[in-house]
Amino acid sequence: MMIFDRPTSVELVEAVSEFLLKEIKTNLPAHLAFKTQIAINVLNIVRREQENKELLTKESKEILLNLLSNPQEANIKELAEQIAAGKLELENKELQKALIDITKKKISVDNPKYSTYQKLIK
Amino acid sequence: MSEELQLKIEEFLLKNGIEGKVSELVPLTGGASAETWRFTFSNKNKSEQMILRRGSGKKSPLAVLKSEEAAIQQKVKSSGAPVPEIVAISSDDKDLGDAYLMSLIPGESIARKILRDKKFSEARQKLAFQCGEALAKIHSVNLKDFEQVPKKPIREELDRLYLTYKSFKQPLPVFEYTFKWLDIQNFTTRKDALVHGDFRLGNLMIDESGLAAVIDWEMVSIGNPMLDIGWMCINSWRFGQSEKVVGGFGDLEEFLEGYSSISKEIIDHEEVKIWQVLGTLRWGVICLIQVYSHLNGDVNSLEKAAIGRRVSETEIDLVDLLFLGGK
Repeated sequence: MMIFDRPTSVELVEAVSEFLLKEIKTNLPAHLAFKTQIAINVLNIVRREQENKELLTKESKEILLNLLSNPQEANIKELAEQIAAGKLELENKELQKALIDITKKKISVDNPKYSTYQKLIK
Repeated sequence: MSEELQLKIEEFLLKNGIEGKVSELVPLTGGASAETWRFTFSNKNKSEQMILRRGSGKKSPLAVLKSEEAAIQQKVKSSGAPVPEIVAISSDDKDLGDAYLMSLIPGESIARKILRDKKFSEARQKLAFQCGEALAKIHSVNLKDFEQVPKKPIREELDRLYLTYKSFKQPLPVFEYTFKWLDIQNFTTRKDALVHGDFRLGNLMIDESGLAAVIDWEMVSIGNPMLDIGWMCINSWRFGQSEKVVGGFGDLEEFLEGYSSISKEIIDHEEVKIWQVLGTLRWGVICLIQVYSHLNGDVNSLEKAAIGRRVSETEIDLVDLLFLGGK
């Protein structure tokens, strides 16, 4: 259930981002325009995370359940700890695939234009 | 603020026996841990462009003090590597704090311009070879002259990176995997060398004929010279031009050819790969250090906050290098 009216949080963030891009950034000296672009990039991360986090979290949870079996342990922290403790071996192909797939989901929100991500989804 | 600084620079230079006027003082967007200013210095004999680099005064685990950086730069210059001339060093708080002044080497340091502007198209052809040459010169300086530079043997450095990563309590499975992977790699033992520590576009001044100067020496150490070679070849410093392994402009062969034109060390591609993995992880941990300096309240900075979400760039590069045949 949602008690908040439109604009949704995504729509609000989009409005601020557009404002910065079209009305603010163009009127600033270079070093402040650069910082404004960073602000716009940050807002775009927030937007993509809002739009996709439920699906990406659900899919990641499935990957973790497959790999770590115990549902209570199926989280990122546990995965990190099992790698550190040597419980999951470096040669384990399922582990490698899980690391690839979860990382792709993270970068699809953080920076989908990143060269390596673009290369890997081709 | 800048008028006050202008007077301070004039006074400081006068104290060093250099009399003249400072004008056109402008801040440059530069390194995250230091202020950089450009200005014109003129007196009746000449007018020249200079750079002021100023530290925060706080000792950082990553960087040497600005006054130390300048002293190191002076000594490297005498070895023939392309380094800007140091004009004066301030280590006293009464002057400019921890800072130094150097002459401006004309050229471009912004990576995207160097990689895309037509005026650098000839420079780009030679740059990989020239970078190899310059690194080999830096790596061949006599260490007796650099006793104050921190020693960072690579295994100790990896331990330190791991502890730093752990201190933030942000679990990153890809980092855990990579630390374990690096643990079981054989690092070829090499003679200790002066390591620049941040040799990449952004810290190189480029003109139309290629490499003009190596700047930003704050991460300098004594250690394995392969660190600089791997660092120059990571995807983080290709600025989108990922098919060109060296800095987004060159091939590994040309880079290593340039290196071996000066140095006798033999380097193979597999070894470079291990150091690319290490370099990518090191950049990832540096991103964490930067974002946590924001999150802990030490500095309030949008840039530092944003860099936290660049950690996943290093993770995707790591899985690509480790599992998917990435170069």
